[in-house]
Amino acid sequence: MEYGENIRLALQGLVDHKFRSFLTMLGIIFGVASVITMLSIGEGAKREAIAKYQDLGVNNIIIREKSLSDEELEEVRAKFSQGLSIQDANVIKEIVPGVENITSQAEKNTDVKFSDKSVKSTVIGITPDFLSLMNYKVQQGNFISEKHYNERLKVCVLGAGIAATFFKGEDPIGKLVKIDDQWLEVIGVLASKSLFTETVGELAARDLNTDVYVPLSLFLNRFTRDNVLSSEIQQVTVQINNSDRLIEASRIIDEILKRHHFNNDDYSIVIPYELLKQEEKERQIYNFLLGAIAAISLLVGGIGIMNIMLATVMERTREIGIRRSVGARKIDIMSQFVTESVVISITGGVIGVFIGIMLSLVVSLFTDINTFIKPYSVFIAFSFSVIVGVSFGYLPAKNAANLKPVESIRYE
Amino acid sequence: MLIEIKDLKKSYSLGDSEIPVIHGISLHIEKNEYVAIMGPSGSGKSTLMNILGCLDTASSGHYYLNNVDVSTLDDDALSLTRNREIGFIFQNFNLLPRLNAIQNVELPLIYSGTPGNEGRERALKALEKVGLSDRLYHKPTELSGGQRQRVAIARALVTNPGILLADEPTGALDSKTGVEIMRLVDELHKEGNTIILITHEQEIADYAYRNIYLKDGMIHSDRPNHQRKNLG
Repeated sequence: MEYGENIRLALQGLVDHKFRSFLTMLGIIFGVASVITMLSIGEGAKREAIAKYQDLGVNNIIIREKSLSDEELEEVRAKFSQGLSIQDANVIKEIVPGVENITSQAEKNTDVKFSDKSVKSTVIGITPDFLSLMNYKVQQGNFISEKHYNERLKVCVLGAGIAATFFKGEDPIGKLVKIDDQWLEVIGVLASKSLFTETVGELAARDLNTDVYVPLSLFLNRFTRDNVLSSEIQQVTVQINNSDRLIEASRIIDEILKRHHFNNDDYSIVIPYELLKQEEKERQIYNFLLGAIAAISLLVGGIGIMNIMLATVMERTREIGIRRSVGARKIDIMSQFVTESVVISITGGVIGVFIGIMLSLVVSLFTDINTFIKPYSVFIAFSFSVIVGVSFGYLPAKNAANLKPVESIRYE
Repeated sequence: MLIEIKDLKKSYSLGDSEIPVIHGISLHIEKNEYVAIMGPSGSGKSTLMNILGCLDTASSGHYYLNNVDVSTLDDDALSLTRNREIGFIFQNFNLLPRLNAIQNVELPLIYSGTPGNEGRERALKALEKVGLSDRLYHKPTELSGGQRQRVAIARALVTNPGILLADEPTGALDSKTGVEIMRLVDELHKEGNTIILITHEQEIADYAYRNIYLKDGMIHSDRPNHQRKNLG
C-alpha cells in the first residue's frame, strides 16, 4: 500500500467533508495559533529585556552611591566614609582581576539653558572611556576626548531629547549652552535612547535623552554640589573581560569598598547581566504558564480530532469491510486512518501557523507589547500538531483495523 | 485439488452458550468447477462462504486452499490470501461510493502493491471484459444495478484469483439483468475460472454444474446438475 494513495484518500475525504473537517481542525488551529502567539510575546519580552540591559552593558558592574537622607549622610560621614570617590575607582582598577575598563561619573540635577529655553536635566561628568563602556552612540559631532578631559575644556555632549528641544533642526555644534553659571560649547549629540522605564537597583528610571555630558575634570572643578557632604562621584562603571567572572569580581569590589568606606553601607553594586539572568528565570515561569495553556488547547484540539475520527470509523465500517475483503491488512487500514488524522492536524497546523503569525503582528501593531516570531517556534507548533495527529489518530485507527472483516462487510 | 475441507465446524459464542452453525462439513472442489451452494436461511451457507473466502476462520477442522491449511494462517496471511486467491461478488455489490468505477477495480491491486500504471492497465482490461469501457469514471451512484455488479465482477477478476465467490450475485437485480450477470459468470467459467455460487434460489443454482444443499449446518446433498440451464 502506497503512502501517496493514503494521502490522496485523506485529502479527498477532507475536501468531501469541508465543513466537518474545518470543525475538526478548529481545536488544532487555535492550539497552534496560541502556541505561536504566546511564544512570540515571550520572545518579544525577552528581547526587550536584553536590549534594556545591553544599554547598561552586559559585561559591566555598576557601583552607585546610595541615595541617603541628610541625616543618614551626616552619620555616614561621621563614621569616616567619604562616599564614592575617584580613589575608589583607581583601587578597583588596580586590584580587581579582569578589569577591562573603568569609568567614573559625577551627577548633578540642574537646569540647562539655551537662549530663552530651559530644561531640567542631569549633568553628568564623565571620563573619555565612558562611551566604550556604554552602548551609547554619537549621532552628530564628537564625544568628549582625552584632550577635553585633560585640559578641562568647557564642552558638553547633549542627549537627543534636550538637543531637539533647544535647536529644532538647527545645527547644535558650536552653540553655547549655560549650566549653572558656566557657558559650555556643544561638541556632539547622542543618538536617541529608549526610555529607561524601570528602576534597576539604584539606577532610577528616567529619560536618558535629557542628560548632558561634560568632562569629569571640568565638572569637579567648576560645578558646586547641592550638599557639601556629597560624595565626589556618584557612579563607577567597571567592565570585566569575562561575563562568567562578574560575580567573583563584584565580591572583590565589595570587599575593597567595605574597607575603604569603613564598613559604611553607602553604595550598592548592580550587575545588569545577573539581573538579566534573574529576570529571565522569572520569565521562564511565566513562559511555562503560557506554554501550558497553549499545550492544553492543543490537547483539546487533539481530543476533538479523536472524537471525530472515532465517529468516522463507525460511519465507515462498511468501507473498512470492503477494503479488508479485497486484501487490505490491518496495518493498511491503520495507516489509512492515521494518515487521515495527520493530514487533518497538519492542515489545521498550517492554518494555525498562519493565524498565529497574523495574531502576533496584530498584537505588536495595536498594543505596546513587542512580539517576535522565532522560526523555531513555528517549527515547534507545527511538529506538535503532527504529534497530536498521530497520537490521537492512533486509537480510532486501531479500532478501525481491529474490526472483523466478516462483521464489518455486512454492517448496514 | 483447489479446495479441500475436512470436518469443518463453526460455532458462535453467545454469552456462555456456544451456538453451532456448521456441524461438520467435508468437501472437495476442483479447479474450474462451477458449484452452487444452496440452502434455506440458517443453513450455514453464509458462514461457509465467509470461511471459504477467508473472511472468517473455522472453530475446528481444516480448510486447505491450494494445499495450504488456511486455519493456521494469521490475519496478515489471510488478507494476502483474500487478495491473491479470492474474488468476491456480493449481492449488494459492496463498491466504495466515493471512488469511480476504475478506482474501485484498482483497489485490490493497491493492496497487492502493484505499481500504479500497471494497476490502471489491468483495471482497464477487467472493465473492458465486463463491457464497461465507457463507464470508467462514473461513481457507483451514477451506474445502474447491473453495471454496478459488473464493476464488482471486474474488481473480483482483476487479481486473477483462484476462486470467484459469488454471494447471491443477482439478489438485488431484476431478472433480465440477473440473467445477463449469470451469462457473464458463465463466460468466466468457460475461460477457466473456478466459480462458487451461494444462493437460495434454485433458478440461479441451475446455472451451475454441481449443486450442494446445506441443511442445519450439514451437507444434505451434493450432486452434479444434469438439468443445467445453458445460456449459450
